[in-house]
Amino acid sequence: MTAVTGASPARRIDGFVWLAAPALAYLGVLYALPLAMLLFKSLSAGGSFPSLAGYAEFFGDDFHLNILWRTLRVALLVTGLSLLLAYPTAFVLARARGVVQTIILIAMVLPLAVGVVVKTFAWSILFRSDGLLNKTLMGLGLTDEPVRMLFTEPALVLAAANIFLPFMVLPIYAVVRQLDPRLVEAASTLGATPLHGFVRVVLPLTLPGVVAGAAFVFSMAVSMYVIPSLIVGERSQTLAMLIARSYLFLRDEQMGSSMSAVLLLIAVAVVLGSSAWVRRLGGGAR
Amino acid sequence: MSHLQVSGVVKRFGAQTVVDGLDFAIERGELVSLLGPSGCGKTTLLRMIAGLVQADAGRITLAGRELAAVPAHRRNVSVVFQSYALFPHLSVRENVAFGLRARGVAPAEAAPRVDDVLALVRMQAFADGPVTQLSGGQQQRVAVARALVVQPDLLLLDEPFSALDRKLRETMQIELKSLLKARGMTAVFVTHDQDEALTVSDRIAVMNAGRIEQFTDPATLYAKPATAFALDFVGLSTRLAGRVTQIDGDRLAIDTAAGPVRADAGFSRGSAVLLGVRPERIRLGAGGADHNTVQAIVSDVVPLGARTHVYAQVVDGDRLLCELPGTVDLSGTRAGDAVTLHWPVADTLVYPAAA
Repeated sequence: MTAVTGASPARRIDGFVWLAAPALAYLGVLYALPLAMLLFKSLSAGGSFPSLAGYAEFFGDDFHLNILWRTLRVALLVTGLSLLLAYPTAFVLARARGVVQTIILIAMVLPLAVGVVVKTFAWSILFRSDGLLNKTLMGLGLTDEPVRMLFTEPALVLAAANIFLPFMVLPIYAVVRQLDPRLVEAASTLGATPLHGFVRVVLPLTLPGVVAGAAFVFSMAVSMYVIPSLIVGERSQTLAMLIARSYLFLRDEQMGSSMSAVLLLIAVAVVLGSSAWVRRLGGGAR
Repeated sequence: MSHLQVSGVVKRFGAQTVVDGLDFAIERGELVSLLGPSGCGKTTLLRMIAGLVQADAGRITLAGRELAAVPAHRRNVSVVFQSYALFPHLSVRENVAFGLRARGVAPAEAAPRVDDVLALVRMQAFADGPVTQLSGGQQQRVAVARALVVQPDLLLLDEPFSALDRKLRETMQIELKSLLKARGMTAVFVTHDQDEALTVSDRIAVMNAGRIEQFTDPATLYAKPATAFALDFVGLSTRLAGRVTQIDGDRLAIDTAAGPVRADAGFSRGSAVLLGVRPERIRLGAGGADHNTVQAIVSDVVPLGARTHVYAQVVDGDRLLCELPGTVDLSGTRAGDAVTLHWPVADTLVYPAAA
């Protein structure tokens, strides 16, 4: 996600690279190695390697495909909802000054210090049939009996979008802050209506932040485990939950590793695709 | 009615009055500069004309149309910003075409107009390249092309040359002036650079503290500054404090640290005044009956090539600046020498002393 700042001129490897050696070694042992083992396992079936049997089993089963589709759909909805909320917020944050800006930033970042389990529990309390939301709805007379919210997909999307919101706001804010307000003025003196100026100037110039934020949120939403476990439970599973089940309950390591590889592939594709896109967008902008 | 008419315009930011009941009018096809120090309100005035800032009071009319209720995008006033504000994500051609697209001009009709104006500023070769790779001078040309292509009723330029180095600046000033003249464009430059104002404008409005001190052609502004501020801000000058001792017909006798000096009338006896003389009016040696003659001690001789500056101190500390053509032989004149200086009485400018 470093691509937000655009391509740097002529990258040259120098001695400073060695400063990253401890971190690289750490990641290599604890991350790359298990990942390689996971990929190896996903490609071997019954002692033979390579074999696509694990993948064939996964993609050949409607149950799995349904879950894959639901996972992608939820991740997209979460990304879309958080983008919708985050984009205007980023502008307010960038235009705010002094104390107001600090307060918004703190309000944005502080919840990150609270564990995702705690936040998800908070949401599940809100969503319960005797929770605050239902009590309010009934109190207002909008409904006679509690609306089922917990264990539904909309609740999952709502909770996840809330929890991931900072990861959408901050990259967009970083781009909006650098947007020269003169560009908007130039557009208007050239005859552009506010809408035309937004579509042709503001939107394209803030798109790198949007893409970066969307990639963050999508890759987190597509692989989330805790939030769906607590909000929707076993009723409608996501891929991450399915993987956990394969490993922990079914002891089907091959299935688990194949599904993990699929999930990984989706995340990698999103990250690589978006950073390539950002680089292309940023190419002319700097 | 004048093409652009600004009457009684006021702008306050908090407790500070930035533009203070300002009036001025310019005719179609005129190139005008708003000249003043930073903070004098010139940029705010420009932004009010463009519609980027709302005036607190007063009227602005352009081509007979009252602008108060007209948003910036419908004023048909183009702005060249100090930073040029080119759209970094668009090519040179797309930048120039922006205003036409915004006005809904069909691409087929817009393309030749864009090409024309790019040819005018000699940027055709860069048309399809990104604007971010251009030099300062090239960016300025694109900014000018982008502003001109929509055929605005008025072109506003906010310190358009300040980002350019000195040599390029002078070339671009001459170039831009003839380009605007050729198109019959009405333009207002905002600048704090007197040379720029003198070069590009038909008329110059000297601004100070939210007001216009003087609005006239460059030659008159230099020769007859209306206020001490205008004298100080435009060109070099020698200033002497004095007091009117006698009025003799249409001549004043004024007592100064450099001795008695005469000037044209207009002040009452006993009033404290400030005298100003342009350096090139002052000559070495004693003058005739129509001249003021003073004695001083040379403090410095500065050869500047085409001209030479002689600084001379009078007894009480006031310093005179005399500018002589570089062809005058000053090899015998050194710091510490006593000199006699003179200048025409008619070229002695008189202002009320600052309170």
